[in-house]
Amino acid sequence: MLNALRRRLNIPPRDQWRAAIAKIIDDRVRIITAGLSIRELRAVMRGDPPTEKPNPRYKVITTSFVAHLRPRYYPKASTWFTHTYRLGFFTTFFFIVEVITGVILMVYYIPFPDQAYESILVIESNVFFGELLRDLHRLGAEAMVIFSWLHLLRTYFTGSYKGPRTFTWLTGVILLLITAWLSFTGYLLPWDQLAYWAVTVGTSITESGPVVGPALNLLMRGAPDIGTGGLLRFYLQHVILFPLLAIALISIHYYKVSREHSISLPAVVEETERTPDQKKEDNRRIDLIPDLLSHEVFLVSLGIFIMLVILYFRWFASPLETHANPQQTPLDTKAPWYFWWLQGLLKIDPAAIIEGMVNPIFETFRLGFRLELSKLLNSKFIMGLIVPPTLIIILLAIPYIDRNPSRLARKRPFAIMWGIAWVFIVIALSFMGTPQFGIETPPATRIIQDLAPEEGEGALRLIPYQELQQGIYVVGEEYGPDLCPTLSYQPDPEGDVNNVVVGCPNLTAVFREFSEKLLAAEAEGELPDLNANITVEQVQYNLKRVTPQVEWTDPESGETKTYEHTYYLHQDRPHEE
Amino acid sequence: MKRVQLEIVFGTILVLLSTAIVVILGIQEPQRMADFEVQQRAELIEFGASVFTINCTRCHGSQAQGITGIAPSLRDEYFFTQRLEEVGWQGGLENYIVSVVTTGRQVSTRPDQYAGATGTSPVMPTWSERFGGPLRDDQIRAVAAFIMNFEPYALGQIPTVEPLVPLADESTPEGRGQAVFVQAGCNACHTISGLSTGNIGPVLDGLASRAGDTVSGLTAEEYIRQSIVEPSAYVVEGFADGLMPQTFGTTLTEEQINDLVAFLLTLQ
Repeated sequence: MLNALRRRLNIPPRDQWRAAIAKIIDDRVRIITAGLSIRELRAVMRGDPPTEKPNPRYKVITTSFVAHLRPRYYPKASTWFTHTYRLGFFTTFFFIVEVITGVILMVYYIPFPDQAYESILVIESNVFFGELLRDLHRLGAEAMVIFSWLHLLRTYFTGSYKGPRTFTWLTGVILLLITAWLSFTGYLLPWDQLAYWAVTVGTSITESGPVVGPALNLLMRGAPDIGTGGLLRFYLQHVILFPLLAIALISIHYYKVSREHSISLPAVVEETERTPDQKKEDNRRIDLIPDLLSHEVFLVSLGIFIMLVILYFRWFASPLETHANPQQTPLDTKAPWYFWWLQGLLKIDPAAIIEGMVNPIFETFRLGFRLELSKLLNSKFIMGLIVPPTLIIILLAIPYIDRNPSRLARKRPFAIMWGIAWVFIVIALSFMGTPQFGIETPPATRIIQDLAPEEGEGALRLIPYQELQQGIYVVGEEYGPDLCPTLSYQPDPEGDVNNVVVGCPNLTAVFREFSEKLLAAEAEGELPDLNANITVEQVQYNLKRVTPQVEWTDPESGETKTYEHTYYLHQDRPHEE
Repeated sequence: MKRVQLEIVFGTILVLLSTAIVVILGIQEPQRMADFEVQQRAELIEFGASVFTINCTRCHGSQAQGITGIAPSLRDEYFFTQRLEEVGWQGGLENYIVSVVTTGRQVSTRPDQYAGATGTSPVMPTWSERFGGPLRDDQIRAVAAFIMNFEPYALGQIPTVEPLVPLADESTPEGRGQAVFVQAGCNACHTISGLSTGNIGPVLDGLASRAGDTVSGLTAEEYIRQSIVEPSAYVVEGFADGLMPQTFGTTLTEEQINDLVAFLLTLQ
């Protein structure tokens, strides 16, 4: 009876059920994996050889869209870790991190000057994992810049830019420029002092250009000063134009690698005698499935893990200064560190250097005239608009300049030396580009700014609120070992009752440092007739005002000058322990 | 183990560890967000204090205590409890402050007490950039946050904090005069070393030694009294007429003026 029903409904007998279900599942798995059976999948995960013939793992590459972008295999030698260091892979990895975190951040960010800064605050205070996302985006951006530079250096030093990879090098250099521009446009978006002034200074370089300079500057800023229009322009470039360009160029760059010429083989493999055994090992196929794929998944999990560890221990945090203020130029504008070399270049004045070399000669021979190059040559124009594009053109042209056919380091000593020299030049220029280098700050300003920079922490802001005892502390006056002997407080009100700080050790230390520096400057004659103090006042029940003030007689003009800076410190202000 | 297997094992461990980090961060996240908000408020108040000091103290006094005849106190109980009702504002006080600062006042609501009665002295000007003023909206919000921070103090929930300014000895006329100098808001416009830093009117250091020679026929005491009660009778060179409120003669009692003069006569 039951068997009759089964026959009628076309249900196979019980012993065939398991096989039938297994076949259904197997078919589904084959569809999902684009060609691998369950048995095969298991073999892949175990690193076993293929279970069927022809090798079903190659079938995936023809049937799956994503897999078809990848090569079937690489020769073993081109996957040596010490040959590529996986730098290109990680650059792409960070690009994808940027796209994912960026798209989520776009949901909360408002590209309008009145609301941009506030929307960043909302991301930090009101969006679950908002700070993590922002930090990931910023960390990913900096890592992407680092890795793309390292990738370029690796390609240069292994000579991999030579034919047939010349065009790939070209697209790579353009990708480096896109990366730099993406990070620069993103820099403006938080709309804080850091962003606003770095970008104002950055775009002002174009202003010095001839004929089109002012127009170009206007085009970038959207108005004489960066405002609503400028922010929107930068935002659209950051989220649409340049990501699309990057995707297009990454596609070309990678297509060349995967379809045309593959990753370069190490020069030792290509150009030196290898034993037959070595040769066999060099050319051993490393298949996409499972070897490359498992390796790449491992690298991705490693990359994510390292980023999270860095953020968990707060070794990196995205900066956020105060709201952008077009009326107040900060004492030093900080370009992102990867543009310091450019800022260093801008500090060089070629006209003055040539004048300095030539004019003494003219004077010795009493020629009766002086070379006045500065009137003809605008250093900002030369160092900002002539030199960097020239460097970029040279970088682009390297494969066409370097006609040496060998890729072995010892057969191209000049290229290697040039490379090393350039690394050092860039490091030196970056050092010159640091905000402090070569910029003379008046001593009083410098001493107060050292104590409490306009933005960020500094010793003064790290004084616990409880230690800020009202009073006028005069430099040069004798105080006891502690400025506030009658004071005592509990640093952690909810913690250990016995944990009590007596006096104000931090305030005392800051005051001592302030006094020592000023008295040293007075002794050196920089600040004659010194008259300085730190005033601490109570403004509200939980707000104090701290004013370091310096008065001196200017050694040159004899005038009395004062410099002071007012800081308001709230009880609940963020405090790094 | 083969490399593939090793990578799968270590990859799995890394993914688990990453998940653990994200979970831990997720558990801490509500607390972090709350902390950030408190710190953000603190920074806003700090910022508001500096904006207030630069822009608002001229009329509202160095401590927001108000200046008689010019602008009201922003830290008294009346402001925090009755002001909204008086003007018929439906929303909260912080929004009210933002609104008034942003657009300013076209007409004084209390011309009998503060500026705006005669039409010569300006009422609250417009502050927002949007309407031609000098401040950005975030600065205005910061000022409002700063003023709101007076609330527990204004409502008497916390004891008054002693200001740094030297306390007057109230037993002598000179000491009481010094207190009047601060209470009446003279300090907002006039500098006396060690006491005030106002920069609208003349510096009063050494006033007693020069007051007798300023206007012929007036002794130092008479000159000072005249300057308080009838400021337009003689205006120091370099300052505009009408800057100083004309109302001190009526808002201060005879005794207060006597004390104030006695105090100012001590400024040798």
